[in-house]
Amino acid sequence: MSRERALVDGDWLEARLGDPGLAILEVDERPLVYNLGHVPGAHCVDWRRDLQDPVARDVPSPEAIRALWRRVGVGPRTTVVLYGDMSNWYPCFALWLFELYGLDDVRLLDGGRQAWLAERRPLATDAPPPADRADAPQPRLRPELRAHWPDVAGAAAHGVQLLDVRTPGEYRGELLAEPGYPQELAQRPGHVPGARNLPWDACVAPDGRLRSDAELRALLDERGVRLDAPAITYCRIGERSAHTWFVLHELLGMSEVRNYDGSWTEWGSMVGMPVVLGPDPGEPLDAASLSLPGLTR
Amino acid sequence: MSSSAREPDDDAADAVTLQGVRAELRRVRAGLVRIEEGLAALERDGAAPAPRARTQRRPRPERYLRLLVDVYERGGRHGLDSGAFGALGAAHGYDRRGLGGFFRGEHAPLALVEGRVQLTPEGARLVDEHLRELSA
Repeated sequence: MSRERALVDGDWLEARLGDPGLAILEVDERPLVYNLGHVPGAHCVDWRRDLQDPVARDVPSPEAIRALWRRVGVGPRTTVVLYGDMSNWYPCFALWLFELYGLDDVRLLDGGRQAWLAERRPLATDAPPPADRADAPQPRLRPELRAHWPDVAGAAAHGVQLLDVRTPGEYRGELLAEPGYPQELAQRPGHVPGARNLPWDACVAPDGRLRSDAELRALLDERGVRLDAPAITYCRIGERSAHTWFVLHELLGMSEVRNYDGSWTEWGSMVGMPVVLGPDPGEPLDAASLSLPGLTR
Repeated sequence: MSSSAREPDDDAADAVTLQGVRAELRRVRAGLVRIEEGLAALERDGAAPAPRARTQRRPRPERYLRLLVDVYERGGRHGLDSGAFGALGAAHGYDRRGLGGFFRGEHAPLALVEGRVQLTPEGARLVDEHLRELSA
């Protein structure tokens, strides 16, 4: 994957409005902003309703994902373009989820809603009707893109790169969540043993667009992240870490990077799970002290 | 200007247009919702005296709320620089002094974070409330 393939800009998208081979999806932290005006033809995807299982804490079922793709017009050869508010935080989660379920051609509008508005591009207020694509593809799970907590425990024990993309205050254990997210708390603050802190928004320029590849590589080098070694990203509930996953996997071409969507709300709530406080990664997890499945990875 | 003060020209400006009347209607509806919520809370809590609830604060003018939505939409994760914020504020009819009110008080909706204008949790709450009103 590369920047040219994974990212599109406003000129690219505006020139293709109305193209039946394109499905444009807006995914916002606050889905109601879609009603104020959106890219013409864009469908609204609600992350609470569409991008998680309605009962269990999990990604949607394959059936639910296929129903979503059918509704928003994803066919076998469709190019999906995602964009949204807050510098594309949630669109990246949708992109990761769609690739997790085997979709091949999923792209991100650089800068998202913020850039589209700043460039004074056309907006529509009418929502398109459901596309009802009977040929929506059958989801094919790609488990290599997702990490579960035993994978993270194994990584922490064996020196696999763990990237905590939350704010420094959350990483150090001074906060359970950024102000304004009172519903998304773990039982304990801190970080996974051995995890490095790489706040996701360091990859985003002030105008909401992603930084250049050279800037991203310099940033990662400065933080001690190796692009030639496997990595797992995590945050609080898996959305911010999907943004960093996008940067590493889609822009910079890291092949072995997984998103831990259980993230801190899972790890920080499990009984007996080691937690590190403070600004340093801390010692690797002592696998011998825990009799947990998955630590042999 | 205080962040909670209603400017004298707001009522007059709103009242002379259909949009203004609709905005007022939305405010009245929102007020009814707040009253119902307050009554429900009193019934639930046995009518005990309580600190003034967040939902009982003074309604804000339409342009005040639109400016907050603009900060949210156009600022993204990092917020707006002061020049962009000033331009947005001017577009909504606020001068520099009026814009200063957005940053003052215990319930200020905006804050300067590393030199950029961002919503506070109170600002985010107002944005959520306004978006719900617009979609009602």
